[in-house]
Amino acid sequence: MSIAFFMLAAVAVLGGVLAITLRNVIHAVFSVLLFFSAIAGLFLLLIAEFIAAVQILVYIGSVGILMLFAIMLTTKVMGDPTRTVRSRGWVWGGVAVAALLFGVLIPLITRAGNTAESSLSNFDPSVKELGLALMDPYFASVGVIALLLTAGLVGAVVAASSASETTDS
Amino acid sequence: MELTLNHFLILSAILFSIGLVGALTRRHIIIMLICLEIMLNAANLNLIAFWHFSPNPELMHGPLFTLFTIAIAATEAALGLALVLAIFRHYQTIDLEQIQGLKE
Repeated sequence: MSIAFFMLAAVAVLGGVLAITLRNVIHAVFSVLLFFSAIAGLFLLLIAEFIAAVQILVYIGSVGILMLFAIMLTTKVMGDPTRTVRSRGWVWGGVAVAALLFGVLIPLITRAGNTAESSLSNFDPSVKELGLALMDPYFASVGVIALLLTAGLVGAVVAASSASETTDS
Repeated sequence: MELTLNHFLILSAILFSIGLVGALTRRHIIIMLICLEIMLNAANLNLIAFWHFSPNPELMHGPLFTLFTIAIAATEAALGLALVLAIFRHYQTIDLEQIQGLKE
């Protein structure tokens, strides 16, 4: 379990770092897909199979494809040198976030001393439990999420439809 | 070497920092949205790790919260990319430094 964790962690960090450093936006999207699949592997390692499947379906299947479509609709595919967007403030941003990570987050995590063992050895979390919990105490939340998804889809269609068409009609 | 909660928390903190650096320094709209997704995924990993090492995992709170987070993140990605298309149609650029119509 430990070896799998470190390999998946290395893949996730590599995918994330490549996603924020690569010049080519298409390559950045593909490396973020690598990051998403490593996260799905970590979910599997934590015995959350359904969440891993949802991660693959939603993130790799739809969010990644959506990003690729957005890139293809806004820039020429595979890099357009005239529209390269340069970034500024690498040094200050990196220093500030590294200070936050090593000065605040990691000391606090290590001081908390969470050395609990995994308690899932005698328990098999199944999708049935998840479905029952979604239907009984979380029913209102499911309704709110459905409403949010509908509103988001309608809003996305309205925002993405061209302005000339809306003025014509 | 046995895995503890600390391993997952530190990994999640590192991934969150990577996303934060990208969101602070990159000036490309789509890369910024990608960095937001990276940060949300780090938070999801935290939720699942806390659930896995919690004393009563049979309540399934971690996966439920992660499901809702994923649904909200998917909505956010769809809306964000639709807004990117609208902004591109209006400004003909996707450089955040040049989108300053409100400032002028």
